Amino acid sequence: MAWRDVKRKVKRQISEILEIPGDVALDLPKIILFGNIQLYIENHRGILEYSPEGVRVSVGEGEVMVEGENLILRNILPDELCVEGRIFSLRFD
Amino acid sequence: MFLFKLMSFLLGYVTILVTGDAPEKFINMAASRGISLWDVARSGEGGIRLKVRLSAVKPLRHMARRTRCRFRICRREGLPFYFARLRRRKALALGAVFCVGVLYLLTSFVWFIEIRGNEQLSSAEMLEAAAEAGLTRGVPKWQVETGAVEAKIMERLPLVAWTGVYLKGTRVVIEVAERTLPVEEDQQPAHIVAGKAGLIKEVLIVSGHPVVKEGDTVVPGQVLISGVIPAVEEPEPGEEPEPGQKSGEVRPAAYVHARGIVRARVWYEGYGEVPIIEEGRRPTGSTKTRTSIKFEGKEIILSGSQNIPFEHYEADTLVKSLPSWRNLIIPVELITIKYHELSDYKIERSPEEARRLAEERALQEALASLSPNTRVEKQWVEEVQTGRAENLVRVKAIIEAVEDIGADKQFKP
Repeated sequence: MAWRDVKRKVKRQISEILEIPGDVALDLPKIILFGNIQLYIENHRGILEYSPEGVRVSVGEGEVMVEGENLILRNILPDELCVEGRIFSLRFD
Repeated sequence: MFLFKLMSFLLGYVTILVTGDAPEKFINMAASRGISLWDVARSGEGGIRLKVRLSAVKPLRHMARRTRCRFRICRREGLPFYFARLRRRKALALGAVFCVGVLYLLTSFVWFIEIRGNEQLSSAEMLEAAAEAGLTRGVPKWQVETGAVEAKIMERLPLVAWTGVYLKGTRVVIEVAERTLPVEEDQQPAHIVAGKAGLIKEVLIVSGHPVVKEGDTVVPGQVLISGVIPAVEEPEPGEEPEPGQKSGEVRPAAYVHARGIVRARVWYEGYGEVPIIEEGRRPTGSTKTRTSIKFEGKEIILSGSQNIPFEHYEADTLVKSLPSWRNLIIPVELITIKYHELSDYKIERSPEEARRLAEERALQEALASLSPNTRVEKQWVEEVQTGRAENLVRVKAIIEAVEDIGADKQFKP
């Protein structure tokens, strides 16, 4: 555990020094939200749960919860995901 | 994204319904194996409907077993499936091929021949010349040699200076440029007569015998230059020969087409009157339109108000009725009435202003009767006095112009 924390800390410092975007160096999800109708998640780790009222997506560490209505998954690629519908909230768990 | 959709359409795609305990697992596995899924939506209880490419269906079976899901194919779309359907309907496929074939066949004939640029030549003549070179309506296009047709037209019709033949789809365009031939002069014996009354100012003779001279007053129809050149008689003994004529020359009377220019002073008159106090009605510019349908004496108003909204008005009525056929007359008429509002007006002018306006009108009237190529020499205006006081200002305008008054008139010698 300690070793992993140290590794992450070093990684973050290096990315800060070199100004490398987080999604490249730190394996963070890149989330693009178009108003409340469309949401792109790049760098995801899979869908945990899907229903028209909510989508739970696993990302590097933890998960992203999207709540709304009439949600559909417009597109699923190995590392990209597009959710469409009326989005009410976006939460990191 | 569009490219992806297009590729999917070309390769074929299916809509599948996934059921089971955890369809999300199935989706994750498919996505992580590089299978793209789209339009994922919940469908009813527990099922997920999604679209995948046709090529991905086989590996999906394997994954479904691993994740304990089941899937069923609901819809098949894309080109491969259309072809499969077509294979079952051979007549339709044959018909489509036949249609394309016939269309191609029909476009390889000449259907229209268009001739441009001919003014003196008739189109029929051109077509005849073209037909001789093998260009008629309905010949196959590959048999038409544009060069040969051009050469034939040039050979057949000497009036053509240049011609171009182009194929444009099923249309052949023949463009021609014609030679302009010199206009043949009229050699019929003719006089030049006066077209208008006037005072002769100058006479210039090209051919013919002068009858009038400068300073003469002529009336319309009077001969100015005669086409009859009188015979030269043998000079009587003792008489001096006329100057400019060789003595001893004797010739009979000749008849020619008289030519020349006879310029004369011509007067044109115009009259204008303007009231000092003018009253009347004129349109204000506001209009209302009423459309109605008349059917057997009854009028049904479609748009516009029932009563006319203006106190004074002028109405334009347009009646449209259906064309009658044989003795059948359809008793329905569409009536459009346009009401133009009129209003009273009163203008008070000073006598000077009225006079100026009347002069303008009189001059305009006089100028309107002037023929083209006329030089205005002088113009003046005079007020017409009636001897009693009245509301009107009357003005007469006179224009003095110099113009060629000659006109051809043929005669029989």
